[in-house]
Formats: sequence, C-alpha cells, structure tokens
Amino acid sequence: MSPAAELVCVVDDDESVRRGLRRLLKSAGYTAETFSSAEEYLAREIFQGALCLLLDVRMPGLKGPALQEALEERGTCEQIVFITGHGDVPTATRAMKKGAVDFLTKPFDGEELIQAVKRALKRSEERLRNRGERLKARSRVEKLTPREFEVLRFVVMGLLNKQIAAELHTAEKTVKVHRGRVMQKLGVTSVADLVRISQWAGVSPARKRA
Amino acid sequence: MKTLATPLGLAGPGSRSTTERSDAQFFDRRVAGVALSVALAYYLGAKIGFALTFQPHPVSVLWPPNSILLAALLLTPVRVWWVILLAAFPAHLAVQLQSNVPPMMILCWFISNACEALIGAGCVRYLIDRPVRFDRLRNVGIFCFFAAFLAPLLSSFLDSAFVAINRFGQDSYWQVWRIRFTSNILASLTLVPFIVTWSGDGIAWLGKIRRARILEAGLLLIGLLSINTIVFYKLAPTADSALLYLPLPFLIWAAVRFGSRGASAAICALTLLAIWSAGHGYGPFSTRSAEENALSIQMFLIVMSVPLLLLAGVIEERSKGETTLREREERISLAAESANLAFWSINFERKESWMSDKGRAIFNFGPDEHLSRELFLSRVHPEDRNAVGEAIERARASSQTFEFEYRLLRPDGATRWLISRGRYVSNDRGGIRELIGVAIDITAQVEADLQLRLQREEMARMSRVSSMGELTASLAHELNQPLTAIASNAAAGRRLLAQGTPDLEMFEELLADVSADARRAGDIIHGIHHFVRKSEGRRCPVNLNEIVQEVLRLLHSDLLGRATPVETQLAPNLPSVDANPVHLQQVLLNLVMNSLEAMQSTPIGKRRIVISTTCEDSSSVLVTVRDYGSGLPKEDLDKVFNHFYSTKPNGMGMGLTIVRSIVEAHGGKLNAENSDEGARFFFRLPVKPKSETPEVI
Repeated sequence: MSPAAELVCVVDDDESVRRGLRRLLKSAGYTAETFSSAEEYLAREIFQGALCLLLDVRMPGLKGPALQEALEERGTCEQIVFITGHGDVPTATRAMKKGAVDFLTKPFDGEELIQAVKRALKRSEERLRNRGERLKARSRVEKLTPREFEVLRFVVMGLLNKQIAAELHTAEKTVKVHRGRVMQKLGVTSVADLVRISQWAGVSPARKRA
Repeated sequence: MKTLATPLGLAGPGSRSTTERSDAQFFDRRVAGVALSVALAYYLGAKIGFALTFQPHPVSVLWPPNSILLAALLLTPVRVWWVILLAAFPAHLAVQLQSNVPPMMILCWFISNACEALIGAGCVRYLIDRPVRFDRLRNVGIFCFFAAFLAPLLSSFLDSAFVAINRFGQDSYWQVWRIRFTSNILASLTLVPFIVTWSGDGIAWLGKIRRARILEAGLLLIGLLSINTIVFYKLAPTADSALLYLPLPFLIWAAVRFGSRGASAAICALTLLAIWSAGHGYGPFSTRSAEENALSIQMFLIVMSVPLLLLAGVIEERSKGETTLREREERISLAAESANLAFWSINFERKESWMSDKGRAIFNFGPDEHLSRELFLSRVHPEDRNAVGEAIERARASSQTFEFEYRLLRPDGATRWLISRGRYVSNDRGGIRELIGVAIDITAQVEADLQLRLQREEMARMSRVSSMGELTASLAHELNQPLTAIASNAAAGRRLLAQGTPDLEMFEELLADVSADARRAGDIIHGIHHFVRKSEGRRCPVNLNEIVQEVLRLLHSDLLGRATPVETQLAPNLPSVDANPVHLQQVLLNLVMNSLEAMQSTPIGKRRIVISTTCEDSSSVLVTVRDYGSGLPKEDLDKVFNHFYSTKPNGMGMGLTIVRSIVEAHGGKLNAENSDEGARFFFRLPVKPKSETPEVI
C-alpha cells in the first residue's frame, strides 16, 4: 500500500477541528488534506487513488449530506465518514443508507476515528480495483469487430456454434473462426472466463429471435 | 280548587286562537248563524220580559232583549256588530207589533235599546281585551259600572224622552226613566254574565269535567232550586224578611266552587224564580202594589248579584294567579335545575327565608335551615369570606344590586365556584324588606377555563423549552468544536509519543492548540452572561413591591391551578432600585415557578409560598421567595446555580443561571438556602442613590 495511492480529506468549517484532525491523521501515517467547505473540496482535482472523506454535517454553504449526493453523481470512489456536532438519528440513518462508512458524533475518540478511516480506505480501494477490472475488460471488448461482438453475445447466452450459425444465417465453420478470434482478443482460454470478462465489460447477452 | 280554573275558561293560548280564527271567518256561515240566534233570542227575551210583567200594571221587572243584544255584542267582533243590530231589529219589530205599539215608538225603542247595548259593549270592549270574561275583579268591576250601570242610566234618559215625545202611555218622564233604569240594570247583571260565561268557550270544556264536579253541581242546583222555591213560592208573604237570605249560602257556594259561570247561573235561577213567583202573587214580593213589588224585588236581586259576581271574579282571579304562579315556578325551577341556579330570598320583616332545592343542594343547607348571612358566609371559602362579606355590606348600605364571584368550601372539601347576584328590596318606609338573589354554580366553566389557561401555559412553556432546546443545540455544537479539536490533538499526541519520535516543535504547537481550544470552550459558556447583558435594555427606578404584585397577577392561574396560596410580606415605603423591570419580573417569575415545581409532591394543604421584601440599612433591598417544598439537596446548595445543573427530571439547568446573571448585572447577588421546611431564595439589589436622579422623563 503505497502512501501516494491513498488520501484522507477533511471537510469542516472549524479551523481548530481541521488542525486537530490533520495532526491526528498524520500521526497515524496518513496523508491528509483539509478543506473549510464542501465547495472548496469539489474544486479539487479528482484524486485517482483510494480516498477517505471526513465530512462535517453542519456547515455554512453546501451541507455534508448534499455533498455526499453530489459525489455519488460524479461516480468517484471516495468513502465518507460523517462527523457531526449533534448526532440526530434521521440524518445518520439517511447518510448510512446512502453508503457512508460511519457516522461519528463530536467529540469522538481519536482511535475510533482512525478505525473508521481505515475501513473507509479499504472500501475505497476495493471499489477502485473493481473499476480497474471493468475498464480493462471494456477496452478489450472494444477491440472486437461488430460481427465478433455479435458472436460473443450469443456465446454468453450459452448457444452452441450450430445454433449461432443458424441465428446469424452463416456457416458453422465461420462462427467457429469468429469465436476463436474473440477468445484470443479478450485474452481468455475458457468460456467461463469469457462470461466473466463480458460481465465486467457490461456486455448484455443477445436476445434469441422468436 | 285545582280543577276550577280550567273549566271556567282561562284566557289560554288555545281559546285566543279560536277567537282569531272565528274573526277571519265571521262573515261566512257562522255570522249568519249568530245573527239568526240573536234574532231568536231577542224575540224570546222580549216574550219572557212580557211574561214577567207584574199584573195588572204592565211594569216590566226584567227586560231581557237589551241584555241579549249587549251579550251578543260582547261576544262578537266589532266588525260584525251592525249585522247583530240588523238581525235584532226584525225580532224587535215582530214583538212590539204584537203589543200594538205605534211604529214610531217601536223604532225609537229599538234605537234606545241599541244605544244601551252599544254604550255598554263599547266601554267594556274598550277597557277589556277580548275575550270578555268575568274572571278578574277588574273585569267584573268594569262590567258592573259601564254595562250594568252607566249604559242603562244614559239610555234611560233617551228612552223616557222618546216616550214623552211620542206621548205613549200615561207615566211621567221620571217614572218611565226609573222603571226602565232598574229593570235594565237587573237584566244586565243577571243575563249578560250568564250568556257570556256559558257561551264564550263553546261546550268543549263540559267533556273534561270530573264526575265529582258534576255531582257537586247537581247537588248545588237541587239545593238552590229547593231553597228558592221554598223562599219565594212556599213561604207566606208575611214571613220574616230575613228568610230572604236563605239562598245566599248556595249562591256563595256556586261562586266559590264554580266561579263566574256558577255564580251567574245561580243568580239567573234566583232571579227568574223570584220574579215569576212574585208576578204570580207568591212569596215576599207580592204584598204591595205592583210597582212597589217590582222595585223591591229589583233592588233585592241587584244587591245580591253584584257582590256575588265580584266574589266569583276574585275567586277565579286568585285560582288563575295560583296556577300561573305554579306554572312559572315550575318553569323557573326547571331552568334552575338545568342551569345549576340557586334561588333564594330572605324576608327581614316576616323573618322568613326560602331557597330552591337545587340551591340547598349546592350550598349544602338542610331543608329547613333558616338562611342568614352568617350561615351563608360559613360556606364561603375562607379566602373569599372577607371579600364577600364586604360586598354584601356595600350592597346593603347602598340598597343596590350586587354581584360577586366566590368559592364555596363544602364539608367534603370540594370547592365550587359561584356567581351570586342579589338585590335588597326596600319597603314603603325606606327600610329593607327583603333580600332576594340567585347564585349560579359556574364550577364547570371555571374549571374548563382554568384547564384552557393551563394548557395555553403548557404550550407556551413547551415553546420556551423548545427554543431553549434550540439554544442548547447550537450551544452544544459550539462547544463540541473545540472539544473535538482537543480530543484529536490529544490522540495525535499519544500516537506521536507511542511512535517514540517526539517532534518537540510539533508538540508545542499541539499543546498551544489544545489550550486555545479550552479557552474557547470557556468563552462560549461566558457568552450566556454576555447574552443576558446585551438584552438588558433601559433601566428606570423600580419599586420591587410592584414587581411582586405584577408577577403574582401573571401567575394567578398557575397558583390557583396548583392550589398554592401566596403570602406577601411587603415592606412599606420600599426605596426603588435602578433596574430593568422586565428582567426583574423574569427573576421573580423564575423563582416562584421553581418554588411551585419544588412543591409538586407537597400535600395540597401544606403548599405555601411566602414572598417578602425588606429594606436593609437604606442601601439595599432584600427580596425573598420561600417555599415549603422538598428543599435543596445539601451538597448541591451552590451547584443549583451551575450551568446545566438541574434537580428536575426535565430541567435544562439554565433558569437559575440566567436569573443569577440578571441579578448580578443589576449589581446584586442571588443566594439559596434550606430553611426548616423547604428552600429559600433571596437576592439583594442596591438602592438607587437619591442624588443620582437627574433624568427626569
């Protein structure tokens, strides 16, 4: 786990809280950045590594939960830990349902916070890795010709070569050639791997003609 | 007596509407029927009049046609009178022609007869509201004077004049006048009441009479007829004239038991029998000349009938009054029952008192207990007793209507709220005759009112609490920021130490941050004092006694609702302090509310708050609020003023903090201590120096 690959961001309107948290995170070996508002954080360039966001609920301007929604739309991989001055149950429940890692009430125990940060980074990293797999699969699928892509969809559907040939009004031999080329381009050797990579790439199975 | 009023035809709403209906329909077939019967009756009446003439001299003792006409006019609406008169004329004509009277004389007599009936009926109808009844002394009096005396008197002059002008008969003017006058009086007195009372209400009432009444009427009739026959027919003409009064008991019986109907019928029977007997030469009125006999029998009968009619009127009036009174009393008692009213009266002259049953129940008086002011005051709540006593005394002195609201303390300990209204009634000599009044039990309203007020206050308190909650939430948020920073820094410090490579410079920075955050937390707490000081507003000379009174007024319903009496010991001539009156009000309000809350578990009888003001060595004023509640926990004596400290389950622990802040902002000091029972809160405020009053507003 290289330090450059992960980052902890603190968004809180109170300066002493920011200073205290940055010091605590640094003492635990994390790289920390602090922001005084949600808007300031959104202005930062998107970090590509695993990211934990320590987010205050009540702030001037954009509030914590609103930032959570904005980030969801952006589709980035940061995981959020809410920190709040007064923990009210409805806000906490909503935040947790929307995927927050934890909801800490100020003043919280330093170790508790570190544990939450650790969990958030781990989840962020998992999400990041999944996204990498998906991107790789998609780039390979993109190399297929339209005909090969057609054949792939029928294979994923579980059709035999003969059936695929009937569907595509072509010879079984031709299908066999296309299929070999698909396996080669996607870098797999078994049908099972083929199905898995198609799923990563989001390939939908073809629909059998009625 | 009970059944008397109904069959004798009281002016009830039913009979009146019948009259109105007949008014509307009078010109149809009914008017024809009435006209026909009038003509018939007139004819028959004249025949009877001739029959009752004393022979040989044709002197009429009783001349019924005029009375029949009069009765018909009394019973019919004025609009149809002309029909009645027109109908009577042919009858008059027929009768008189048989007696060989010249046509001119016939016409003249009809005119005078009609005049008599019109004068009598006109006066009576003008003075008595329809329908004409003989059930009141006034009505009978009006009838006797106008119809039975004045009308014959006036028309007799006319009659005599006609006779003189036509040179009819041999009698002198005054002879004719006298004969006619007396015979018409007699006819009016005997026949008109009979016709009017027996035909006024139809015959429907006959069906409602009880059998006992019919039996009694039969007995009366037999007795009356027998005694009349004995006196006027069987007795020798020379018998003792005192025996003439033998029918009197029966006549009085008729009047007393059967009212105007009975009396008029009895008089009729007596009259007809007496005249008939005398006319045929029997009885005491047959001894002298026809003229003398006629006069004496007329006088006898007139003297008998007038008092009887009046007696019947009085009797009916009284029984009617009794019925009305009973009905009214029932109505009032129904109203009293349903409205929780207590009616009462004390008559000082007769030394009598009365109170409705409901009232006795409300006041818890025995059914025969004599009412008096002392008895009444003994039921009044001790706290209201003086005020009520004074109100009564004031009303008595000015003889005016009084009204006051007070509480009753019933023997079972329950408190009832009442409003009493009363009036002293003076007698003719200007003294006080009677005290009458009504008391209304308004406990339900008062309690509902109190409930409403308590609810409103509870709502106000809730909103106050929620705004306090808002304040604490933001306060908590404010405090949590530095605390979070301190906690984070501490955790970071521990980690750094554990790593064994303490960067001293960084550590120093860290500790500086921690102490800065701690200071900041302290400042937030102090902010409450600033908040109070900021909203201080304008100061002016304030009399603390007035503040105490004002606060007690504000808390009136609270104190009532919690059954807590407040005792004040206010120093007279208290020097004023320089203060914001609204803030001092807040202080006292808070202290009294705290006392009330502290006594929630104190038994009701023991609850008490004592507020006192004292002037101390002319430089400061001491205000004390003492309760008889649970007192303060010993170890917490000073803690009660701490922020967020509360002994109440729902307390915020802010009230006394703010109170103390206010007192201190005014240069005073607030303290608390336990007394032998309950707690005592007291504060001193400096007196405003006299020299320092340049601001004259």
